[in-house]
Amino acid sequence: MSILPEELVNLLKDHDSVKILSTTDENGVPHAVAKGSLTTLDGITIAFNEGLDTNISNKNLVRSIWFDKSVAINVTKGGVSYQIKGKPYKCLITGPVYKEFLLKARERRGPDADIAAVWIVKPDEVRNETPAIRRKEEEEKRPFFNRHLDRASIKKTVHT
Amino acid sequence: MSNHESGLEELADRYPDVPRFIILKLDAQRRGIKLTENAFNAVQEPLYRYGRYSGVKGEETSKGVYPGPLILRDGTTVLTSAAAASQFENPYTIDHVEGKFYIHDNGRRIDEVDFTPRPDYYGKKTSRGVPMESIASARPQRIDIQPYRYCHFWDTQDQCKFCSFFTDLEEQRQLSDEKFPRALNVEDIYETVREALKEPGRISQINLTAGADYSGAVPFDNEVNRYIEVLQAIGRNFSGRFPSQLLAPAYTKKQVKRLYDETGLSSYCPDIEVWDENLFKWICSGKDKVVGRNEWVKRTIDAVEIFGKGNVYTNFVAGVETAQPHGFKTIDEALKSSFEGCEFFAKHGVVYLSLVWRPWKSSVFAGQKQPPLEYYVRLVKGLREIRRAYGLTSDNDDYKHCGNHGDSDLERID
Ligand code: SF4
Repeated sequence: MSILPEELVNLLKDHDSVKILSTTDENGVPHAVAKGSLTTLDGITIAFNEGLDTNISNKNLVRSIWFDKSVAINVTKGGVSYQIKGKPYKCLITGPVYKEFLLKARERRGPDADIAAVWIVKPDEVRNETPAIRRKEEEEKRPFFNRHLDRASIKKTVHT
Repeated sequence: MSNHESGLEELADRYPDVPRFIILKLDAQRRGIKLTENAFNAVQEPLYRYGRYSGVKGEETSKGVYPGPLILRDGTTVLTSAAAASQFENPYTIDHVEGKFYIHDNGRRIDEVDFTPRPDYYGKKTSRGVPMESIASARPQRIDIQPYRYCHFWDTQDQCKFCSFFTDLEEQRQLSDEKFPRALNVEDIYETVREALKEPGRISQINLTAGADYSGAVPFDNEVNRYIEVLQAIGRNFSGRFPSQLLAPAYTKKQVKRLYDETGLSSYCPDIEVWDENLFKWICSGKDKVVGRNEWVKRTIDAVEIFGKGNVYTNFVAGVETAQPHGFKTIDEALKSSFEGCEFFAKHGVVYLSLVWRPWKSSVFAGQKQPPLEYYVRLVKGLREIRRAYGLTSDNDDYKHCGNHGDSDLERID
């Protein structure tokens, strides 16, 4: 398993980036939710908490760890965006990491805040989805595919 | 029963809708676990160092103490203790390599596992100087208190034939001496709960159980009074009713009502132990003599009127219905009987849960043969399906609170 790129680690640890977790149910129906707690603790895996055991995401995560299904995570801030595909590796229901997430939740939302579990996801694939980078990659690979010819970089400007 | 016994991998292939984690849990409960020297040394670290006072022989050795319940990667709690490894013929082995625990089956690495961390209240003493871990033992998300550590069914050799409670697991006798006193002091209980609550997110349920004491004007009156006193003491820590369960005999409606009205108790679990009427009379002769099998069942379903649908439970010791000479001869007959019991109770709003039977040396059933793993796989699958059809969930006995029930673990995705 590889170490996450530094830019992604910074995004994951940034409170202001938007973090989306996407899971699927038994019929493959996707379910995407914002996950404010999502971060990396070791630069290798992704960690986040689930508030309730009965959340759809939580049930989908259980199904994923039981039946070897993947989840997708998107982390975005400004023009930078990463997508991570991976599998849930651990569901923590007690212990120091669990306590750390609970205390953070209580810092943010007050002493009555609660969590059900902390999930650890092991990434299988990390993709830089930053639009400018993706476009550059594609244009290098297939320079004549599906580009509008009136774009500034293509059309010759005729001065009359 | 056939001689071939399918193992974890074969059953995981044959029952793809039953998670491998749950099959592993069932098998680890059936076969037990033992620790390598590395693992034993690792659980002496402050994070894991447990140390309990249950009287089980070998639980505390000169080299150290055994850890709390095992936890699988998916969060499934497995209630099995390495302290009892000598009771099993072919236990799984837990090793510790580069900071992680792994479970092995005859030399083959199966998966990474972990142990329940030591709670902060362990090592502390009550104002009377009593070690708090002797008052309440911790599971990942609950504490267990046994206010009365003696069962009077043993006085007349009418103990449940699978029972090893309050024994050292080796000898067929109740322990109870100065080192292992029968009754706990209620103030010690109050202070221990108060201390346990100081640790953030450590407990979300309190469980009480004890040996049966049927003394009193009406059988069990004294025991009910004791529980009320204990629950009221615990309740001083809370602002209202609190997540809790009492595993106790089937009381009269009046006794159950008192427990509900006079305390903050939220669920009640009179264990039926075995569904079949004749087997109950044979296996649970004490319960049968003092209450009677049909009255036990009636009182259990009557309790739903007081605690509400889904808040009354009854456990059965899965496999004892195959104990010989009177038990079922085939797995199919055994399963049919348990499913019938589950359906009956579910219809009345009672959660009927399975526990894996281990024929402890200190029990009457020592030396009996356990059913194969496949029986447990089929059982948990069937029980979960029946309860789901009746809209029942096992909130008090789920994957993180108990550690005994493969069937309730399956409810996580329902
Ligand atoms: S009631 Fe039965 S199972 Fe419970 S402690 Fe007594 S003999 Fe053991």
